[in-house]
Formats: sequence, structure tokens, C-alpha cells
Amino acid sequence: MRHLINFLIRYSTWFVFAFYVVVSCILLFKNNSYQQSIYLTSANAVSSSIYGVRSDITSYIGLRTVNEELQARNADLTDEVLKLRQELKKYQGIVGDTADDKSDARFDYILATVLNNSTRHPRNYFSIDKGYKDGVHPGMGVVDHNGIIGIVNVAGAHTARVISVLNVTQPFSVKLMGTSYFGMLTWHGTDPSIAYVEEIPKHVRYKIGQKIITSGNSTAFPEGISVGTVMGQVRTDNDNFVTLKVRLSSDFSNLSNVRVIKDILKGELDNLAKYDNRDMKNKSNKD
Amino acid sequence: MNKTTIHIATLFITMLLLQTLIFNHVVLFHVAVPVVFIYFIIRMSTGLSQNVLLTLSFLLGLCVDIFSDTPGVNALCCTILAGVKKSVFYLYVQRDDNNKDIIPSISRLGILDYSKYLLTMTAIYCVLTFSVEYFSLASFKDIVIAAVSSTILSFILMLGLDSLIITPRAKRL
Repeated sequence: MRHLINFLIRYSTWFVFAFYVVVSCILLFKNNSYQQSIYLTSANAVSSSIYGVRSDITSYIGLRTVNEELQARNADLTDEVLKLRQELKKYQGIVGDTADDKSDARFDYILATVLNNSTRHPRNYFSIDKGYKDGVHPGMGVVDHNGIIGIVNVAGAHTARVISVLNVTQPFSVKLMGTSYFGMLTWHGTDPSIAYVEEIPKHVRYKIGQKIITSGNSTAFPEGISVGTVMGQVRTDNDNFVTLKVRLSSDFSNLSNVRVIKDILKGELDNLAKYDNRDMKNKSNKD
Repeated sequence: MNKTTIHIATLFITMLLLQTLIFNHVVLFHVAVPVVFIYFIIRMSTGLSQNVLLTLSFLLGLCVDIFSDTPGVNALCCTILAGVKKSVFYLYVQRDDNNKDIIPSISRLGILDYSKYLLTMTAIYCVLTFSVEYFSLASFKDIVIAAVSSTILSFILMLGLDSLIITPRAKRL
């Protein structure tokens, strides 16, 4: 207590000075409308700039949540687009009888985040934070907001390993947009932004910059998901087919939020494939 | 009531009346305003307690504010001026036992040192008071013109006032 009193006495001049300055300022800003208005304007400018900085920081921190929300919304919209496309085909008579009611909701999306990723090796894989407990199973396609990026290889309980498009052993069925000519998308192990579409018939007309999309022939990807754009043709030994050089839509060095595609008809289609296999085996045994 | 108190009270009232009744109504060339009442703060003895000086300065400023209808402006500037008074004084006068308790005047400090001290104090006050009045850096040019012209005018007036006031002959520093 004595120390406190000594302190107050020692610095009493400063306290007195501060007291009179504060009283003067109160008188000044309370009773002079001009100074008051300038004070309020300046205070508003300062507070608004501070709030602006705070808003920038919080909005930056909140980007992850916003991104996830956008991904979810994007997935819903993609789903809706695919449904509408199928509806359109149904009414145009292209799909016809094969498009039953279930086809409306054939594909579903599971949001996931890439845990680790590589683009340096000839056989690249990446991991995602969703496993079979979240509904992820081997054979499911994986896409990001730009296009296809891989196919699930192994599914653990909470994580899964995905074979990247940048894997020389994994081809993907694709087609030229606006045509019904299919080809196999393969990566040659060098540039992570370039892949090749092989087995395109030689007579097919294509344009530089034409889009390559998924063919929809597998249960992994629905038809129409972007893969890349045609850069040109590559010389091959095969006279009947050409190989197209393709710039991939996805940036494989920067994968973060992805979607795993779940085909609801996959079980049915796999069962049908088993029957086909069994028939072929029986036939070969008889022979 | 001792002599010093009477001297302070007389100077306080005189300066207040001079400022409010005469100098508040003078504006030279539409820019220069004489601020003579701060002579009270400038003339206060260096031996006077800082707390007393601050209180008297605040009260003087407040009184001038009441008469000038500028609440807080002069009170704030007078308080700050009283706060820096000692530091300014010892900028020009050597700090020793002889001048621990002296009343600053021409006769005590000599015309040169006193002028420097008076000019600095007046300039500080004028800059402060016009800055508070304009309260905006957009009016920087106006503040400078008003502060410089008022400082010169006030300095001349206070220098004249000091030579009029009879100070007991004392040993010059």
C-alpha cells in the first residue's frame, strides 16, 4: 500500500496532467459540434478500417468452410445437371427404354479431401480422407471441380487410395465431345498436364481445343465429365487409329477438395458382368 | 495570503480580463489573433509546484473558454503548455541552484534568452490551439499561416507587456 501511495505521489504530476487533458478533451468533443463531427468521422474511419482488417482475416480463415460448402453445392448442381441431361436424352428418345426411373438418381457424390499426392512417379497415387465407412469402394471414380482425376484403388475404413490419371498403368475410357468416338486416355509418365487419347479412329475429324469428356461406358464416371482439351495429333505406327495429345483439365499438383462418384447401379451391373463371365467360362469348358 | 498568492491571483485576473475584453476582439489581417493570456503561464515561477501550475493553467484556459465560447480548446492547450513549460525553460537556461525558483522575465534572463523562451512557448501554444480549432490536416496551410502570424503578434505584445511590468531588480543570470 505504501508503495502504491509513494508511486502515486511520485507521479502525481502525470496523473494531474492526464486528468486535466481528459477533462479538456471531454469538454472539447462534447461541446464543439465541429470537433465532435471530425472526431466521430475519424473514429468511424479508424474503426471501419480495423473492422475491415478483421473481416479480411476471418473471411480468409473461413475460406475452408466456404470451399467445402461450395464443393457440396457444386456436387448437388453437377448431380442435377446429369439428371437433367438424362431426362433430356430420355425425352429425345436417345436413351429410350433403358432410362428407367432409377437412372434419375444414378450417381451420387461423396466429398473428400486429398491427404497426400504425387506427380513425380510413373505410377502416381493419392490418398483421400474417406473410406468404406463413408461409402467409398474400389472402382469408384474421383473428380475435382475441373474434371476427372482418378479411380479408387483400395478403400480403408476412413481413407482410400486412388489411382491417379497420372498413372501409366491405368487407362480411362473417354470420347471426343460432340461425337460418339471413344478412345483410351493414358498418361505417358512425363508431363503431369499432358495425357494421350489412343485408339481414336483415323477418319474422325477433330479440332484443336475440342473437349475430351468421359464416355460413360464404365460405372466409375458418368458421361460428360471434362477430361481435357485436344492439343494435336501424335505420330503412331498404327495406320487405323490416331493418338491425340490432350491437355488435362485438372491441375494435379494442386489437388485438395475432390468428389468420389458413387454409381447406384454398380452392384446390378457388376452382377450382370458376372453372368457374362460365367457363360463365357461354361462355353470354354464345353469347347 | 502571502505575496506570491496575491501576485498570482492579480496576474490571473488581469490576463483573463485583458484577453477576454480586449484581445479576443482583435484579429489582424483576418489571420493573426493575439493570445496574451498565456503570459500568465510563461511568467509563473519555476519554483512553483507543477501540480499547482497545471491546475492554474487549466482553470485559466477554462475561464477563457467560457468567455470565448470555445469549451475545452484553451483549457487543453493551456494544460499542455504548462506541462512543457519547464522543459522549454531549461532548453535556454542552465539548470542549477540559482535559477531553481525564478520568475522568467527580460530583466532576469536577458532579452535574448527570454525572447527565445517566450517565442517557443507562444509558438507551441499557437500551433496547439489552431490545430485543435481546425482539427484537420486538410487545413494544414491555414493552420501554419494562423499559427505563425498569431505567434509573431502575441510574441511582440507579450514582450512589450513584460517590459511594462516592474520586476524587482535581481541579479541577472
